[in-house]
Amino acid sequence: MDTQQQLQQAFSDALGLPPEKVTDGLTYNTIPEWDSTAHMVLIAELENVFDVMLDTDDIIDMSSVAQAKLILQKYDVSFA
Amino acid sequence: MSASLNTVLQSASVLITGASGGIGQAIVAACIERGATVFAGGRNEEALGAMQETFGKALRPLVYDVTDEHAVKDTFRQLQRQVSDGLAPPLFGLVNNAGVMLESPLSVTSMDKLKQQLNINFLAPYQHMQLASRLMSRLRRGSIVNIVSQVSEQGSKGMSAYAASKAALTGATKSLAKELAPVGIRVNAVAPGFIDTPLTEHYENEARQKVLQRTVLQRAGTAREVADAVLYLLSEQAGYTTGHVLPVDGHFCP
Repeated sequence: MDTQQQLQQAFSDALGLPPEKVTDGLTYNTIPEWDSTAHMVLIAELENVFDVMLDTDDIIDMSSVAQAKLILQKYDVSFA
Repeated sequence: MSASLNTVLQSASVLITGASGGIGQAIVAACIERGATVFAGGRNEEALGAMQETFGKALRPLVYDVTDEHAVKDTFRQLQRQVSDGLAPPLFGLVNNAGVMLESPLSVTSMDKLKQQLNINFLAPYQHMQLASRLMSRLRRGSIVNIVSQVSEQGSKGMSAYAASKAALTGATKSLAKELAPVGIRVNAVAPGFIDTPLTEHYENEARQKVLQRTVLQRAGTAREVADAVLYLLSEQAGYTTGHVLPVDGHFCP
């Protein structure tokens, strides 16, 4: 599984969405599945999958799948 | 009591701040007796080293200042690295025990002293809860216990800064109990009254008697009694308890 698939799976697991619904355009608080509680679970999932510890500012900024990729790149996670 | 209630801490780590203080040491001992691995946080490297000699691998010292935001983050990274390397079980418990008690009337309380109270007694525990809850939510389980004070519940002349800082922590405890319940984390507090520790050693006999006269049980509490209450709230025996402030005060009547 490459990092793109790992990311998709992490979002899918945390938000309880089918993987195909995890697209770059998916945004926080625009679907019922991605509320503040799910956001916390998502952060835990991403930290676990990519073995990173995110800064609070990055958690606040992580408002979409696209944004998550940009932020994770700061932690040396690369997406093809 | 079922076996499972007794074993939940055996495959768990607990981070305890202020671990080398009077109450801290009692909490460490109680958790280790129950089989937990304890991450013992504190600034006193020598005292933590001595505790490690006593408890061996069950105690993993973390030397840092709880008010240093960056040091706290590094400490959590260090903690998680030990978990990832299989040196310790996943973090299940957090005990925010580090604190300082300022006795100072309003007119002579400097802003620096007030900020110090808030930094140590509220902001530091808050950051610890923020970081610990992220690790706990990976497994959808955890238990946080904050050490507050009966002073914040009842008020005390000459202790407004301390009372306010602990009251802030009580408020956070009750709010986070609601916020973190969906991810399986319970948040409670223990509110000690007059406890025999190095923190209360300076009380002169007359002052001590005054306090004890207002305590229904007519004696000071022990650090072990506070530790037992913490242990109860950490454990699955308190699995249906969250957002609670448990007094350990001999029924103090101000």
